[in-house]
Amino acid sequence: MTRIVVDFDRCEGHGLCEQTAPEVFRLNDEGELHLRRDQVDTEHEGLVAAAVRVCPVAALKVQP
Amino acid sequence: MKRIVVVGGSVAAVTTAQSLRVEGYDGQVTALSEESHPPYSRVPLSKGVLAGRDSVESALLPLPSEDIEFRTGLATTADGTDRRYDGLVIATGTGAHRLTGDNDLVVRSLNDASTLAARPAAAHSAIVLGDGFLGMEVAGTCRALRLEATVIDLVPPLLRLLGPWPAELAVAAARDHGIRIRVAPDGLEVLDEHRVRCGESVLTADVIVCAAGDVPNTDWLCCRVAPGAVAAGDVVSSLPHGESARPYRHDPNFRTGQSGLNIKISGELPLTGTPEVPAGWVDGRSALLRWRHDAGTAASVAVTHRLPVIKLKRLGAGVTSAVPARTTRLTQGRDHDLPAFRPLRSARPRPPRRSRGPGRPARQSERVSA
Repeated sequence: MTRIVVDFDRCEGHGLCEQTAPEVFRLNDEGELHLRRDQVDTEHEGLVAAAVRVCPVAALKVQP
Repeated sequence: MKRIVVVGGSVAAVTTAQSLRVEGYDGQVTALSEESHPPYSRVPLSKGVLAGRDSVESALLPLPSEDIEFRTGLATTADGTDRRYDGLVIATGTGAHRLTGDNDLVVRSLNDASTLAARPAAAHSAIVLGDGFLGMEVAGTCRALRLEATVIDLVPPLLRLLGPWPAELAVAAARDHGIRIRVAPDGLEVLDEHRVRCGESVLTADVIVCAAGDVPNTDWLCCRVAPGAVAAGDVVSSLPHGESARPYRHDPNFRTGQSGLNIKISGELPLTGTPEVPAGWVDGRSALLRWRHDAGTAASVAVTHRLPVIKLKRLGAGVTSAVPARTTRLTQGRDHDLPAFRPLRSARPRPPRRSRGPGRPARQSERVSA
């Protein structure tokens, strides 16, 4: 099962992860990042990987 | 099988290639990069990498997924190999504008930054030609390395780019960092690798860095109009817009880190007049600022003020957002006057207040989902 690691010191709330994978990432009204699900299943792995790549401040990582 | 070729190897090229996969394109995707490095971010080049604080590796971006062919070290001009495509993405970006030739020290590529980073060790002084974002960032980095730093340009620093009020704020911070600023309205001339003529005087330095803007990398294109071709990234503005292409929506966002300031801007530049201050403290150089334009649009600027980018964008778009209620309008100075920014008076500025959401859990460096 894949884990998402968010570095909140780096996260600047650009919101590109939410645009790429809205099923997994959500920015609240304050622009803060929350994870919608605890586990990343096979169905969402591709999208999560894309969201990790698109983060402009490299705040996201995926760990096996 | 259909094949899309992306020419370029930087953020725009990699993002375009990856987006094709995310959107479900199942043909072949090839990205061709001239540089020898895997894709990297240019943001830390003029700062951490130049200062020697961050390694070259720290600027590298994740590689595209395995279903994208990413090739480095390729000349973008004719190298004897024809590459056929069904769709072409032009994403070659821009290169440094050089004042004297190929030997100019510039900060554009990772190799440029590595080359330059090796120089300050034996140097005591630097001249930076160009006082835009890059020039001021490089000068700030030189000061952090304890070099004397002088910035020279034909116009005052950041003035055309930012507008008078924010430019004055940045210049005040630069002067406090010991950066010398010379304006040479009558022109400047690079005499050799250590000397610059600036009006009547000749300035000397151990290192001269050229930060005089950039030029689009389009030399390799044999024509400027072709079917099946699109563009992405910095190169876009130099190419014609096709009649059948969808309108280009510009998303104006800028950021710079210089002289201890971290400035994020959402909205069109330059900014005229004095801003509202929805949050923060201008004298302490940590504030959220907003300019309202006559056309009903607005621009927002966060100066060393932690605010999620998406919220800054909403503020810039004129959407009312739940920012702290205390709003002060600076009364000094009128539109087009010199900026109302007052220099820092207190030697011990108040610590910057951080804006946090009300229900925000305690901050932690990493939150892990199992």
